[in-house]
Amino acid sequence: MSANESLFFQAHHINKTFGDFHALSDVSIDVRKNTVFGLLGPNGAGKSTLIRIINRITAPDSGELLIDGRPMIENDVYRIGYLPEERGLYKKMKVGEQALYLAQLKGLSRHDAEKRLHQWFEKFDIDSWWNRKVEELSKGMQQKVQFIVTVLHEPQLLIFDEPFSGFDPVNATLLKNEILALRDKGSTVIFSTHNMASVEEICDDIALINQSRVVLQGGVRPIRESYRKNLYEVECTPYRWPFQLPNNYQIVSLNEQPDRTVVKVQLPQEHCANNLLEQLIPQCQIIGLREILPSMNDIFIENVK
Amino acid sequence: MHKILLVIQREYLTRIKKPSFWILTIVVPILMAAIYAIPIYLASRPLEKATVMVVDETGLFQQSFESSADVQYLAAGSLDYAKQQLQDSDSYNAIIYIPARETTIPTDAFLYYRSKTPSMTVQSDVERQLQTILRNNILLDVHNISADDYNLISNTKMKIHTLDIETGRDGYLTIKVVLGLILAFLIFMAIFSFGSQVMRGVMEEKTNRIVEVIVCSVRPFQLMMGKVVGIGLVGLTQFALWILLSGFVLLGINATNADLFQQAEQQHQGITELATKGADATAQMEEAQAMQVVPELLEGLVSINFPLIIGLFIFYFLLGYLLYASLFAAAGAITDNETDSQQFTLPLTIPLLLTFLLLPAMLNEPSGALSTWLSIIPFTSPVAMMFRIPFGVPGWQAGLSMLLLFLAFPLCIWIAAVIYRRGILLYGKKITWKDLFHWLGKKESRKN
Repeated sequence: MSANESLFFQAHHINKTFGDFHALSDVSIDVRKNTVFGLLGPNGAGKSTLIRIINRITAPDSGELLIDGRPMIENDVYRIGYLPEERGLYKKMKVGEQALYLAQLKGLSRHDAEKRLHQWFEKFDIDSWWNRKVEELSKGMQQKVQFIVTVLHEPQLLIFDEPFSGFDPVNATLLKNEILALRDKGSTVIFSTHNMASVEEICDDIALINQSRVVLQGGVRPIRESYRKNLYEVECTPYRWPFQLPNNYQIVSLNEQPDRTVVKVQLPQEHCANNLLEQLIPQCQIIGLREILPSMNDIFIENVK
Repeated sequence: MHKILLVIQREYLTRIKKPSFWILTIVVPILMAAIYAIPIYLASRPLEKATVMVVDETGLFQQSFESSADVQYLAAGSLDYAKQQLQDSDSYNAIIYIPARETTIPTDAFLYYRSKTPSMTVQSDVERQLQTILRNNILLDVHNISADDYNLISNTKMKIHTLDIETGRDGYLTIKVVLGLILAFLIFMAIFSFGSQVMRGVMEEKTNRIVEVIVCSVRPFQLMMGKVVGIGLVGLTQFALWILLSGFVLLGINATNADLFQQAEQQHQGITELATKGADATAQMEEAQAMQVVPELLEGLVSINFPLIIGLFIFYFLLGYLLYASLFAAAGAITDNETDSQQFTLPLTIPLLLTFLLLPAMLNEPSGALSTWLSIIPFTSPVAMMFRIPFGVPGWQAGLSMLLLFLAFPLCIWIAAVIYRRGILLYGKKITWKDLFHWLGKKESRKN
């Protein structure tokens, strides 16, 4: 984790209970500027409650929210763009009118909102929908409108709750690229998801929440490394068959092809890649060797089970 | 503040743009005009002329039918001949046929008509003449009483004018009852329909989850009040348009029937004079009555203080609406679907509905204990007070009622706001009354 000044948003020791139910227990997260922060956790872990607290929709029972190192105030909501998981629009309203309304609620002047909306609508190739009613639009179309409304006021902090659910692969890719582009332009993104593949792809840091507590937090790469199993994948053409490996080396899988063999080997804790190479070099011609880090999916399952 | 204005603006404009708003806006003044115009039409329409052939087999009536400007009577020899005439010629409208009976006094007569039923005027004229002739014959032949004597006896009739002792004004009870009922119904409908619009709006936002996005930029209280105020303004706009349009229509009717209204005014004045000055004014009264008799309804209309009623209506609508609409908003916020909403909306509608159903009982005694209490208690006062206003309400009662309503509505808004804020983001959980009381009892945890 970098120095304190590059932290854009922090939550300190947040607690929230609903009756006897603990939704969040002593939750702290640190979100670095210009990064994508993944908020992970199974259903009911407390992610949505935390997001609502960040959005100032609900107040925590105790704890503190900091933005740019100072306590968050009400006007900071203008610096936040939020796309909830369950998203809706007024069905009977026209698309343009509705987008204007939501943008104005976020503090944009009517004139600015209109200008920016037309730019985004053209970018997403939906400008012709301006005067259509929302109920005439497909779900995917509505999501595009919602996305535009979320980012229109150029918030410094963007919060996406399950942004990819319901998007087809084409639009999901479009959305992913937009999110990364926003980050590159200076926004900080918090995004909550179950989709671990997308976490590896776009998140810099993550926090894993389970049963109201943060059970894991940090950079995606360091976390994966810390969960390393000393598992290596070797691609080679063997001279001798079968491999002769020490007893404490375990062959996890072996895939033989006419011209090459791919083998996964689990090494004992004190050994490293060099030891494996020493063993293998006399026996085969090595084409490639890489360490297999556990996927976020594996780490997720290991932590919440 | 800017944001609540945006919410109000959206709520207002989306509703004003609906065709249904304009249809209702136009239909109501037309109805009003119709209600207003009917007595005038009845009083001023040209009289229908009809020709009736009389076939009298008893010989009692033949000579005695008196033709008037409206109905002309012609004697016809036989029923067959008269029927032939009626069928062949357009100059006859009906046949009155009185068959001979064994007994001396005929009891049945038949009115034949072709294609078009004779008007009420013709029917009642025929009936009246038949009865008068018959009665005169009996009186004269059997009892030896002259027709003039009989008229004198049977026409002794007293008309009761209910008067307010302070103003000396005629009470016009009938029209007050009608007006009171109309006002009570109007305010009941207005509060109820605009209130449920608020509830539907809240439920729409909750079920399609847009509320989650909106409460990020607007406080739930602002969203709720924005909706309540926006829809309330739609109501006021509608009333303003109704009053304006009805005003134009009524002015038009008044202008085209100026003489009739002048008479109504005179008659009304005459009665007032008679009541305050006693016998001195009798002459004036008789003078006024000697002119064409203006329908009592019209006379009553002239006596009503419309600006006062409109002013009070708007006061009671506004406060009653704010009180109920905020509670309806809370009810909408704690329900996930329409059928579910019953358990919370029913207790809300009961006070309004009960007052409405008690109107017949209140009618019996517009200033009695029941009416007085109902018109003072905030939840029932809008309907009950509007009903009582045409009958006159003592100043202290009106003042107390308005004061209590004025104090009650912020309390209701506060209760509603607490429930609304909690309920609007709660999904998939069945909320009970116990939860509501728990919320209200607990200290607010939201800081901003």
